[in-house]
Order: sequence, then C-alpha cells, then structure tokens
Amino acid sequence: MRICIIGFGSVGQGVARVFTMKKEIIKKDYGLDINLVAAADSSGAAICPDGLNPDLLLETKKVTGKVSKYPEYGVAGLSGMDILDQVDYDCLIEVTPTNIEDGEPARLHMLKAMNEGKDVVTSNKGPLALTFSELADAARENNVQFKYEASVGGAMPIINFAHETLSGCEIKSIYGILNGTTNYILSRMAKEGSSYDQTLNEAQEMGIAETDPTQDVEGEDAACKVVILANSLMNMNVTYDDVEVKGISQITPESITLAKKEGYLIKLIGEVSPDSLEVSPRLVKEGSPFAVEGTLNVATLKTDLADDVTVVGRGAGSIETASAILSDIISIWKMKK
Amino acid sequence: MGKIKMRLNLVLELLDVPGQLLDALNPIGRLGANIVTVIHQRDVKTERGTVPVQITIEGDKEILDRVLKVIEDSGIQIIQVDGILRKEKITTILIGNIVDQDVKDTLDLLNHIEGVMVADMDLKMSDHPEQSASRIVIEAEQGKRRQIMAEIKEIGTSKGFLVINEV
Repeated sequence: MRICIIGFGSVGQGVARVFTMKKEIIKKDYGLDINLVAAADSSGAAICPDGLNPDLLLETKKVTGKVSKYPEYGVAGLSGMDILDQVDYDCLIEVTPTNIEDGEPARLHMLKAMNEGKDVVTSNKGPLALTFSELADAARENNVQFKYEASVGGAMPIINFAHETLSGCEIKSIYGILNGTTNYILSRMAKEGSSYDQTLNEAQEMGIAETDPTQDVEGEDAACKVVILANSLMNMNVTYDDVEVKGISQITPESITLAKKEGYLIKLIGEVSPDSLEVSPRLVKEGSPFAVEGTLNVATLKTDLADDVTVVGRGAGSIETASAILSDIISIWKMKK
Repeated sequence: MGKIKMRLNLVLELLDVPGQLLDALNPIGRLGANIVTVIHQRDVKTERGTVPVQITIEGDKEILDRVLKVIEDSGIQIIQVDGILRKEKITTILIGNIVDQDVKDTLDLLNHIEGVMVADMDLKMSDHPEQSASRIVIEAEQGKRRQIMAEIKEIGTSKGFLVINEV
C-alpha cells in the first residue's frame, strides 16, 4: 500500500515511527507492505515512489525541521494539493494541524484524495466537526474508505469499536472525558487543591497544555469530538455550532472541595444524546468509571442490547495517536483484500 | 423456626407497553419472594403517560431488598414503598457571585420547580466574590432527573452562574 502523509508534526512523526517499529510484523501478519511514498510539512515534501526511509525522514525533520531537506528526494515549496497531484499513492494520511475555523487545508486535501479514488485516514478533528457529512458523502460516492479513529480519544478505541464490536447495538447516548489536557488539570486541582491558573501553568511547563490552551480548556476540542461521535455513531447530522460548550477556566478550588465533600469529582464531560449535545464541567462519582486521572480519556456508550460499555485509553501522544491511524490502515487493507 | 416474613406495598410506574408488567413481576418470584396482590389498571395513567401498578410482596428482608434493587436496575421506577414517596437526590454546584445574586431568591426558584425540595446547601466564599461556590442538594421525585437538571441549569445560567450538574 502506497501511503502519503500530509502533515509532519507530532502525529505525522508518530506514524512514521510506528511504520518502522511495525513494518515486519504487519507484513508477516497481514501481508501488508507499507510503502511511504511521500511525506509533507509546511516546508514542502519528500517524495520517492520506491519508498522513503522513515528513520531518515524522522532524522531529517529532527535536525533541520523540514522534510523538504530529505536527501535527494526532498522538494521545497510544494503545497499539500501539489503533492497530491504529483504523487501516485493509495491512501492519504491527513494529519495537518486541526483548524476549527474552516477545517482547511485538511478538508480540501481529503476531498481531493477521495475524488481521485484514494482512501483517507485522518486524526484531524476540524474538518470532521465542521463538514462531516460532506466528507462522508464524498467517500461514499467515490467508493473509497474514510477512517478517523484517531480523531476521538487518540488511542482509546471508540469509533471502530462501536461500528464493529458493538454492531447490532443501537447507541442511545455517549458520555465521556474527551480531552486529556483538561482532565490532567482538573485531576491535579482535585489532588493538590491548587488554583486553575497555577495548574494550567504547570501543565504548560510539562508540555501537556499548549502555549495557547484555548482549544483545550474552553472545551472546543472536546466539542469537535462530540460532533464526530454524534455523526458517526448516532447518525445525527450536526456540526460544531450545534454543541453547547462550557470549558473549565471558571472552575475554582472551592468548588472542587465542595464536590469532594459529597463524594464527587468535577470533570469536563462531553454528552451526546438525542436531546443534548454538550461539553461542560459535570459532577461524577468518585470511584465511577469517569473518575480517571491524568491525561486519560474515557467514554461510556449506553446501548440497547449491551447496556453500558466503557472504554478508557490515552487520549493524546504521538505514538498513541499513531496506533489508531495504523489500525485504520490495516483495516482498510483487510477490507480491500 | 422460619424467618419472619415482611410485607411491602409498592407502587411501580410502568410504561404502557406489552411485557412491562411481566418484567416487573418476574424477578420477585425468581428471587424467592411471594406476590400477595397486584392491582393493575391500564386505563389509569399518570400525566407522563405511565401506568401505576400497586404490588404487595412478602418475604425475608434481604430478599425484598434485593427485589427492589433488581426492579430498579431493570429500569422500572418504584415511586412508593409502603405509602412513602421515594425520592432521589440531585447534587449541583454553582460557581459565581452567589451572594450578590440573592441566595434566597435562588433557593426559592429551585423550590418552585415541580416535585423539588432543596434539602441542603453549602456555601464557600472566595477572595474573589465572583468565584464563590455553592453546593445544593435537591430531593426530587423519582424519574424526573434529566428534566430537573435542565431546569436547575436554566435558573443558574439566568443568574450568571456556572452550573455543574451531575453526569
């Protein structure tokens, strides 16, 4: 399978690393030969029809910050769209930075790939949250595979899990902690009694929160995931603006203390139910499945046949997110075989 | 000598669909309790369109406790036990300028929601008045949880509070 990665930040690099780690096993177990024919970042691309060396690619990115410096096959100044025009590939891995204003350029990359008959795997929440039905329709019309397990909960299995393992069940509602950064901050505040600002600073120093933490702490990232789950698992036709969003920046140590006295914790919860699409701080019982700490994500799917099913996993991280992308690639391969 | 048998009078609230009554009665016998009476009038409905059913059951206390739990776990509401309305607790935390926004008025508004009584309130002041927090525990009729939570949220939001409801 010829693969083209667009976006070579944390997730893109994780995918390259996982390709190196798993190349032999994937070949042996599934008969799948992964051939990385192109990788692109904002500097340009590295393109080689015979396959790039993922280790050399990672090294080049590490040393120069640009994949276009890849020896012999690096090309500076190409845009994502240029690359898709020039490269022969089977599957696009779209992992450019999430843009929740208009979903670009990821939306255009994915549409182009689908319209040209290519399968698409992505972790990119922006276009999924804004134009899910457009993308799903394009995939259907072009009869290509469109997989996005990594877009919700990183390594926590949820989308393919619901589609495959829980197939036959109707999913009535989903409640979950869908953002690791806010869960880290709230868990630390509960443990240390520290203020929100102080804890956010600590999270930033540790690289858990970004310099501009707005998307995480104001609930925007979790809201994107609520939209993706609503569309993909509950057949709703909704978009980002349909979600009522409240973040955690108003949470005080006093409120956490009050909650604890009654045996509750405060968590940022995403709710997907027929009468509510919401991200907001909620009270969860200590000792309940939602009482997970650190950057973990968790989701409970309420179903008609299987009752409640809860999944937990790492919601972020380069390799962890790449694991979900790899599993999407393998499942596309199995389907095409 | 056998154990002392207890009797319990229950009022259950069933959906008006086939099989609901059977689902409610099945675990009683299975767990070893006796059904003494069942009064089921399909034409008497609550305002929510559910059918109240009166059941008297008899058995050991542990068995009866287990029966109540199994019935509730199966999603059937028990609204009365021996003539006493069963209540459920709903906890909410409000963050904001609780005092400035007239605490008494907030409580009055909450108490005015149908079937709701504020059972407990705890206030924690902050150095910044707008960051004060209050925990309110409400007792409500069984089965109205979501609706009541939505009303609490509306009242809190109208006063500019951040409302933290249960999940």
